[in-house]
Formats: sequence, structure tokens, C-alpha cells
Amino acid sequence: MMHIVVCVKAVPGSTEVRMDPVTHTIIRDGGAAVVNPFDATALEVALRIKDARANMGRPTRVSTLSMGIPATESLLRDCIARGADDALLLSDRAFAGADTLATSYALSCGMHALCDGTAPDLVLCGKMAVDGDTAQIGPELAGLLDMACATDVRSVEVPSPGGVVVRRATDQGIERVELPLPAVLTIAKDAVQPRMPSIAGVFAARDAEVRVLGAHGVGADSARIGLAGSPTQVVRSFVPEREAAGEDVLGDVAAQAARVRELMGGACA
Amino acid sequence: MSGLVIDAERCIGCKRCIRACAFGGIEVRDRLAHPTEACTLCGSCVDACPVGALAIERPEVTGNGAREDALGAEGLSAYRDIWVVAQRDAFGRVLPVTLELVAKARELACERGCDVVAVLAEGASEPVATPGLSSALQPAPTPADTLLAAGADAVLRCRDERLAAQDPEVMAAWLAALARERLPEVVLMGATALGREVAPRVAVRLQTGLTADCTELALDPATGLLQQTRPAFGGNLMATIECPAHRPQMATVRPGVFAGLAQQGASSAGSASAAGCNAREGMIEDVMLAFDIVPRVRVIEREKAAAGSSITQAKRLVVVGRGIGGKKNLALAERLAELLGAELGCTRPLVEAGWLDYAHQVGQTGASVAPEFLLSLGVSGAIQHVAGIGGAQTIIAVNDDPAAPIFGVAQYRVVADCVAFACELVRQLGRKGWGRPRSGGRVQAQDRQAGLAPAGRASLTLAAGRL
Amino acid sequence: MGVTQVQIEACGSEHEDYLHDESRSTGFAESISFPQSEDEVRAILRELHERRIPVTVQGARTGLAAGAVPHGGHVLNLSRMNRVLGLAHDDAGTFSVRVQPGVVLSELRKYLSAKRFPLNGWDESSKAAAQALAEAPEQMFPTDPTESTACLGGMAACNASGARSYRYGPMRPHVQALRMVLADGDVLALRRGAVSACGRKLALTTEGGRRIVADLPTYTMPHAKNASGYYIEDDMDAIDLVIGSDGTLGVITELELALMPAPAVIWAASCFFTDEQAALDATVSVRAGLSHVAALEYFDPAALDILRRAKASGTAFASLPDLPAEHDGALCCLYVELHCADEDQAMADLGLLAEILGKTGGDAQRAWVARTAVDREALTFFRHAVPESVNMLIDERRRTDASITKLGSDMSVPNERLHDVVALYRATLAKEGLQAAAWGHIGDNHLHVNVLPRSHDEFLRGKRLFERWAHEVTAMGGAVSAEHGVGKLKRDFLAIMYGDEHLREMARVKGAFDPYGQLGRGNLFPEELLAATEEASTGAGPDAAADFAAGTSGAAGFERPGCEGVSA
Repeated sequence: MMHIVVCVKAVPGSTEVRMDPVTHTIIRDGGAAVVNPFDATALEVALRIKDARANMGRPTRVSTLSMGIPATESLLRDCIARGADDALLLSDRAFAGADTLATSYALSCGMHALCDGTAPDLVLCGKMAVDGDTAQIGPELAGLLDMACATDVRSVEVPSPGGVVVRRATDQGIERVELPLPAVLTIAKDAVQPRMPSIAGVFAARDAEVRVLGAHGVGADSARIGLAGSPTQVVRSFVPEREAAGEDVLGDVAAQAARVRELMGGACA
Repeated sequence: MSGLVIDAERCIGCKRCIRACAFGGIEVRDRLAHPTEACTLCGSCVDACPVGALAIERPEVTGNGAREDALGAEGLSAYRDIWVVAQRDAFGRVLPVTLELVAKARELACERGCDVVAVLAEGASEPVATPGLSSALQPAPTPADTLLAAGADAVLRCRDERLAAQDPEVMAAWLAALARERLPEVVLMGATALGREVAPRVAVRLQTGLTADCTELALDPATGLLQQTRPAFGGNLMATIECPAHRPQMATVRPGVFAGLAQQGASSAGSASAAGCNAREGMIEDVMLAFDIVPRVRVIEREKAAAGSSITQAKRLVVVGRGIGGKKNLALAERLAELLGAELGCTRPLVEAGWLDYAHQVGQTGASVAPEFLLSLGVSGAIQHVAGIGGAQTIIAVNDDPAAPIFGVAQYRVVADCVAFACELVRQLGRKGWGRPRSGGRVQAQDRQAGLAPAGRASLTLAAGRL
Repeated sequence: MGVTQVQIEACGSEHEDYLHDESRSTGFAESISFPQSEDEVRAILRELHERRIPVTVQGARTGLAAGAVPHGGHVLNLSRMNRVLGLAHDDAGTFSVRVQPGVVLSELRKYLSAKRFPLNGWDESSKAAAQALAEAPEQMFPTDPTESTACLGGMAACNASGARSYRYGPMRPHVQALRMVLADGDVLALRRGAVSACGRKLALTTEGGRRIVADLPTYTMPHAKNASGYYIEDDMDAIDLVIGSDGTLGVITELELALMPAPAVIWAASCFFTDEQAALDATVSVRAGLSHVAALEYFDPAALDILRRAKASGTAFASLPDLPAEHDGALCCLYVELHCADEDQAMADLGLLAEILGKTGGDAQRAWVARTAVDREALTFFRHAVPESVNMLIDERRRTDASITKLGSDMSVPNERLHDVVALYRATLAKEGLQAAAWGHIGDNHLHVNVLPRSHDEFLRGKRLFERWAHEVTAMGGAVSAEHGVGKLKRDFLAIMYGDEHLREMARVKGAFDPYGQLGRGNLFPEELLAATEEASTGAGPDAAADFAAGTSGAAGFERPGCEGVSA
């Protein structure tokens, strides 16, 4: 049986951030947590592989894996409603405050726990998370798990035990490449349209078990997880100054055009 | 003990921290904040607290409970120099972002008193000359020459056929081995697709910190640590990040945020300081790639980039509305878009009038767009249209009606006849040799044609008259 | 006043947009204004009143019955009266928001979901209410026309509804108070519960002291969702006459809208069926069996087919969810939206829905359930893409024949006639050989059947067919316009539904408010009827309007206890 693990992250429903005009502190109108949209697409890719292989009479197991607060359990249950077979949540105060290195390490430990010590055939991640925007977890996981990797994947052909062929975006354009399994793929958001759960799926997910493990449960080295295991530290965060008030471009039309040319010149290819 | 620490003396129970938290990680009981088990130590509440009652207490960077690979003062001092990993385009030319980074590294190195080292991967049998630029009289500079000229003190170069395809895993294995051997203090890469795949693989091999997609780099004057500032939450929040006890300090940097040496001007401070702070001749050192490193990913084919990308993907967009006057003025807008390297979008009335086809329609019933620049010409700004341009980073609106709703969402407001404005901008862009018009004659023809569009202008003047 | 000189502009080519609305019919006008306050509206109307110039009131121009399409004269565009004026929080904990008519629904929703309003110009009690709202559970305004860029004034003028009116009713019950400028510039302030008719007799006093006394029409409204003509009931609240009056009585300049707590759990299921009868049967069962349905919508096979093609054509519709294939038995779709206090309630209803699907030939394995904001948005997009893609199809056909426009029906029938009316649509469409797509509010037995004419001949035959439906739907006890209002496009249907005598009664009510028939010319009433009414009400001299009012009130003589004041 082919085993696909999809890594999902809970992110705030909105990425809107603004500054309190009185106290000059940051206000984040996050709203309810949602599955990172890129990860939702990655799950859909996994489910399509599962469907396609099922049509060929080949079984596939799709697991979802997340590190997050206990409430993330409901999001993983939603993944099961959509068609994932099982889910593992890594939840422990010790995981909190992790940067990408500590996160990818924790996820790699979770991966081993999901696969009873072996490795999955395919690991799918969203290309990036909409809150952090780092796009580092996928390649770091590939490094930790010593797997081949392709980022910004636009489409995936049905994998065989020998390998998987994907189309991925590079700086030079789209490439069609073949990776040996096991491999890590990070999926672009517009690769496919995520499906919705069926009524039957919703009821199945209600009764499904979402495993929750802490740092000890997955055998993680406590010095490599959470705040303590993170080489990087955020020393300051702030809301960028925007031209919120706006600028009136004044003068005659020649001067106005010159100003706009200057504005648009900054990043012209 | 590490984690979210609340100073009960200072906390006034104002609940701002609750609103700031995206995860329900903090609550207020009896006018005092308490972290819940949902806290992820993200620090949002710390920044939101008006009285400074919250702090994230970090573990000691060395010693008990810390990563055992954390470096002490002595360990840290073994690392020096700033590395810039060179990236190249399909023709082998060094990317502008690499040159921008070399110039920035130059500036930081002067401050830090160290060298800038460019790290360059080449195929074994690469042509030395850059296509299209070579001439008998002046051989084109090699990538290594280009890097030295841009401000690097030295170039570490590896020529190996396994590096020709810029396979991220091979590059990462090579860079990690080289960094382990040479101990750079800082490693910088452009935040290109390649950079953002290679850098994490290097960081994980070296078990060090990496900051993605920085838009600002500086040195902490006291500690000498690299302060890496980057946008998060889709650019709504900026974070400054340091990597105190692990080396190298690694960052990928967004293309276009720093000026390259060339852009700084030939005789400006950039090159003067480059020469001044370290006068020694740049040198090129060839290094090896370990024999056991082999690429695992096989490229089957490279697709040609799709002709004419869609407006939803466009980085720059010119959007025209009814104010453009007549269908004949669309040629002017198309020309302007071409000169700006932009795609052309329009509002719904233009599609309904049959001037442009539906693929160009921006707005609630058309495409939602998210360009870096959106130049809006003669668009009134109906709410249905505005709903589709919310993703644009910078909106420049041109309209002759100062009360047009489009100005409510624009960062730059140009009150002008949009046809006259577009003519003038086309004229200026053509003259400055921008974007190389296909033929000079065509620009003039366009100018003339646009100048002969009295309908639009007449009605616009009329409208302006009412104010 | 000097101000008005500047405010009334000649209608020029730059105002072309203001000559049409979403009905895609075009009118003509001589002048236009964009007032920003009630005082400006009053000044403009006073000036126009002197010259008896017809006035068409416009909001966001999203109407589908051409109510905002000018009929000569002046266009009074209220889109710049778009400020939220204040917020109130009563002892029962209910919030209400005071808005200018040009505030767009989607803006109001944005403020409510962010729990944040622009506070400039607000008084202290409004600011306090805003603070209370920020701390209270999220509030909503339940009326949800498909077009969320509709403005609230327009929504009140046509008594808008939308999918969720299945649970929350149309706009009407959510309007607590309004201010309306009359044709002569006088103002009428109405608050729910303050002034009621006595039987079918209504007496009102304007802020300027004018008495308006009207005999209300004698018809009985159908027992079905209805937006056809004036809302009339015995002892009705005066405010209800104005809501849904299609801009024919006055210009709404301020609305006070009641808000309600947003449901904690909103789930939506799209269920696919292999045939239409099964979907109709399921509709009947869902109506009877589920307790928390907020919307019950239908998409017929042709509508789904148009969607599939729109998605395949790319661009804006490419991000539609992938529809199950037709050959897979997904021929038509029933959309069920649940508003619940908690997930247990939602699970219970979802379980019942699965049972109903099992009995009616649906498939619980394949029904989509949207439980997250992202999924709900996808389904909203799916629903809204249907009319959009039909519009695009018509636009395409218009290129070959400009006389073709979309023919959209808006009729409803009582619950027990659902199967009958669908049978009527199917049989007559098949007989005429017309292409059509149907979708809409099946929970209220209210489908928008859209004929998609391929030629001018088909267009004319489609129009005739609608007329026939108007007769038959009326006979079934239904309404010719259930939600879009009558406007200009469905005027003839209104005559079919109520008959000439009731139409004259309605016109006399209009005459009491607007003696010279200036407002909303062309809406509801044919020109001849208005001219006749105008003559009757004003022909005898300058005071005739008052005489007319006094005369009718005197003739009635049915004063009852509790109705004092009506003839005073």
C-alpha cells in the first residue's frame, strides 16, 4: 500500500493586521483558524492520487499530520471528512514557539510515529503557509528525511513505486521532472480545486479517531523542539507603514506622468 | 523556564491581547491575563500589550535546556565573512538579485570588518562568453568577473557538470559541505524559486536558522548580529529576526529590494566604500564537489512559458475604464501596458460594449487580480470593480473626477484626463528608452492617434466643469 | 438655494451608466444629481416639483426589474448617500443600525463581521453601541439578495429577499424605521408600531404638517412569497406600505435596520439528483422534516450545464468547485443551508437530510457539505456564478441579434402547487421549443425560469409565454413577482395579477403621496393610468389633492375605537 502523508497547518482565517491608532499596538483580526489553503490543495492532490490508484485497483493510505494547539484536532477531523484515512496531531506546550527548523524536526518525528518507524512514500506540503509565508518546511523536511524534493508543484501524475512525475515552477518556467520515491512535494495553491466533504464523510469523520501525541510520544529530542529548539528569534514585529492616507500626484500632466514613471520604475523588469 | 510571562503588576486586564491572538492562546480572568494551552508563543500579544506587561521569555541560548549545538562566544568567533550564493539565469548570466546582494553584503562587510565571498556553481563545460554580448574587441565578463566587479572580495567557484542543471539538492549538499569547512558568519541567497529551495536544505544540514524572503538586512550595532526583517501575514506584519547562537546566519532576500552596484551609480558611495574598506584584489578560488553527491530529480522536459500570461497572475496591470473615451484609445492603453511590461485589464462596461473580451474584465464578475502595481485609467471605481482589485499592492488611479470612488482605494491619486495622461506617459517612457519600443515610429504614431481622441477629452472636461 | 444650481447637472455622455441597471434595459433622462444628504435631496426635489419633472430614484442599479431605469426627467442617484449614521443597542440587547440609502449591503456586512464601523460623525450613544457590538456575539443583517453590492435603500424600495428569506423573510420585517422625502420636498418619518392603518384607511402627517389620507386597495395578497405591487393588509403598519413600493411614493433617505445575532453554525449542503421530480420530492420532505433550514435552493439541469461550460472556458469561473459529471447522474442540485445554534443541531439536520436523500434517490456519498468559510464561499460562488454565466451567454447572443435580452421569471406559488408549477414550466417550454435554465428559491416555490432566446422570434415567444405563466400562476394563488419587484418590466404582469380596478386603487394611493405622479414614473403603473389618476387628484385646482384626501376620508365614515385620528 502506498502511504501519503499530508502536512497541514492551522492558520488564522484572516491575515489582516492593523495598528491600534491609540496605543500603537498590533491588532490581528484573525478569526477562526482554518487549514492553510495551500495545505488544503495538497490534501486534494493526495486524494486524487488515491482515487486514481483506486481505479487501478491499488490501495493508498492518506494520512494528515499537523503540529498545533489541541483545537487543531477539529481541522484534522475535517480532513478526514474530505477523504483522508487518518490523522496525527502533535500537540504539546513543548512544541510552542518553534521556528521552521524546530517545526520541520517535530514533523519528521511525527512522520516516523505515523509510519511506525518507516518512512512514507510521499510527503505533500502546501508550498507555504499564508501566515508565515516562509515556504521552508517542505525542503527542510526533505533534508531531515533525506528525500528528493520538488517545490511549487503544479500537477502530479499518478505515482508508481518507482517514482513520481510532476510539473513544477522554477525561475525559468515550468519543468516536468521525475523524482524517485520517497519524495517531498510542495504544492501550489491553484494546482487543483479542493473538494468538499460529503454528508457521509462528515458522519464518518465524527466517529473517527484523531491521534494526539506530545513530544515524548513521538520521541522528539526536547532540545530540538519549540522555542528552545529554534535558532531564530523574533526580536521585533511591527505593522509596515503604508501610504494609507494616499498621495496626491500634483502638477501638470507631464509632472504627473513623470512621478508615476518614477513610482513604477522601482521594480520594473 | 521559558514561555509567555505576564507581569501581574503591569497588566490592566484590557483584553487587547485577546483580540491580538489568533489562536485563543490568552484569556483575562479577574482583570489579569493568563496564557491558555493554545498559546503558540507567536508573540502577537506581546506587541499588542499597551503597558508592556507581556513578554516571551526565551531559554538561555546556551546551557541548560538549550540546543546542545548552540555556540558560545568562542565558537561564534570562529565564523567570519559574508557569503552570497550566486544564482544565474538560463543563459548563465548572474541574476540581478545576486548583484544586489553582493552590494548589500559589501555594505555590511565594511561595517563588520570582514570579506564578501561570492559562491558560484558552474557546469564543467560552460561557454565562457555570455550569448549575444560577446564581440571580438571586448570579451564578455565571466560570471566570476561579474561578481568581483559587483563588489565581492573573493569568489569560491565550483565547476562540475552535476551543478550545471542547478539541482537544489546537489547545490545544497555542496554549499553545506563548503560552509562546514570554511565557517562563514552569514550566508545570503536571493529569494527566488531556487534560493527558497536550496537555502532550507542547507540550513537543515547545518542545523542553523534561516529567515525567508527578507526585505531588509542590518547589523545590530551592539552585538553584530544580522537583523533580518521580513514580511509575514501576506505583508501585513513585519518581523525582525536574529539568529544569536547558530552559524551561519542564513537569509533569503527578496529580489529588487536592494540596489545593485550599477544602480547605485558608478562613482557613488557604494563603489567608493567598496574600494576604500578593502582595497585588495579580488581572487577566484576553485573548489570541489564531493564525488558521492548525485542529483535525484531528473528533468524530463522544460515547458515554454505560456504566451500572454493572464491578468490574474500579472505583476503589473493597466486597467482601463469608461473614461478612456472610445474604443480607438485602447491602442494607447495597450501601448502603455507594453511599455510598462504590464497586462491590460478593463472594467465591465468595456466588455459589455464589446471593446475588449471577457478575459480582460477585472472585478467581482470578472477576475480578481493581485498585481504589485495597478495603474487605473479612467475607472470610476464602482464597488463591483473595487472588489476585484483588493489584492493589488499599489494602486495608482488616474481620473479627472476628484470625487471618483476609485481614489478611495488608491495609494496615489492622479487627477487628470486619463487619455492626456496616458499619452504623456507613453511619450516619456518611449523617450527614456524604457522597455525598448519595437520601433520609434510606432510610438509617435500612437502619440498622434491618442492626441486625436477628442471625444474622451471633451466629455471629461465637461465633467470636470461641474466642480 | 444656490446649492441646487450646482447639484442638478445635465445628463451627458459620461452619465451613460446611469441610464440602465442590471435588468439591462436602457432609459433616458435630461438631468441627474448625486446628493449626499437628506437636505440636498429635499432641495433638489423642491426644485423639480415646481416644474413637475419626473424623478427616478437610483441606488446601486443592481435591480432586475428596471425600477431604477429613468423614464425621462431627472435621475436622483443616491449612491453617494453612503454613510452609516449610527448604531443603537436597546434594553433587550437588540442592535439596530441607522444608514443612508446608498450604503451597500456588502459594506454593511464587512462592518458587521469586523465589528467595526467608521465612527466619524457619530454621537456618543452610537459610539457606546459600537463598543457594545464589538464585545457582543457577531451580528448580521439577514436579508441576502444574490447581488451583495445592492444598496440598502434599493433593497427596501423593492423589499428585497434572497435565499435566506426562506427563514428570515424579506427585508420588510427588519426595517424598524425610515425617513422618506416626498415629491414636494416634505419629509415623512415612519417608525414601526407608531402609525397603523385603520382597516384599509391610512392617515399620516408629514414633518411639514401635511396630512396624507389614503384608502388602501381592497385586494388580498397571495399566500406566497410576494413583491408585486403595494403591500396591503387590514390595520397594516404604515411603514410596510413604503417598503416594496418601488420608488413610487417617496425617496427613502434613511433606514433603521434591526440586526440579529449571526448563527453560531452555518452549514450548507449541495445535493445532486438524477431527475427533477426527485429534487422536488426532496424539497417537500426537507421543508417538512428539517428544523434549521435557512435557505433551500434549486439548480436545474440546464443551469448546471451552463456552469460546467463556464468553468471549462476558464478565467473567472475556473475556480468553481468541480461539478460531478452529468453522466454520473448529477443532473440537478438542491442546496440546503442550515443555521444552527451548535454543531449537534446541524448534525441532526444533516442526518435527516441523508435519510431524505436515501428515500428520494439522492446520494449522501456525493453531496457536498460546506462547513468552513472557504467552502461556504465556494458554494456562494457556485450559486452566484449561475446567473452570471447566463448573462454572459445572453451577451454572446446579443452580438448576433441586439434585440435579444434575458427573460427571467420571478413568480411564486403556494407550497402545495410546487409540483404543478414546475410541470407547467416544463410542458410549455417543451411545447414552444425554447431553451431555458431555471434556478432559485425552491423552498418558497419561487424559481427564476430564464428563457435563453436564440433569435428575435424566440425572444417574442418567450415574452408571450411569461404572460401565460402570469395568468396561470395567479390562478394557482401565486405572485407574478416574488422578489425582484415589479418595476417597469413586470408592469403588465401586475395588471394580470390584480386586475385594472385594484391597479387604479394602487394608483390612487400613489396620488395621495405624489399628486403629480413624479416619482418612479413607469414603475408599477402604465402611463395612461397615472395620467388619469393625476387628473382626478389635481384637475380641480391647486388644493384638489387635499380635497381628494379629505373627500375620501369623509366618505368612509368607519371610525372605530382605537382608530382615532384617521379622519381627524
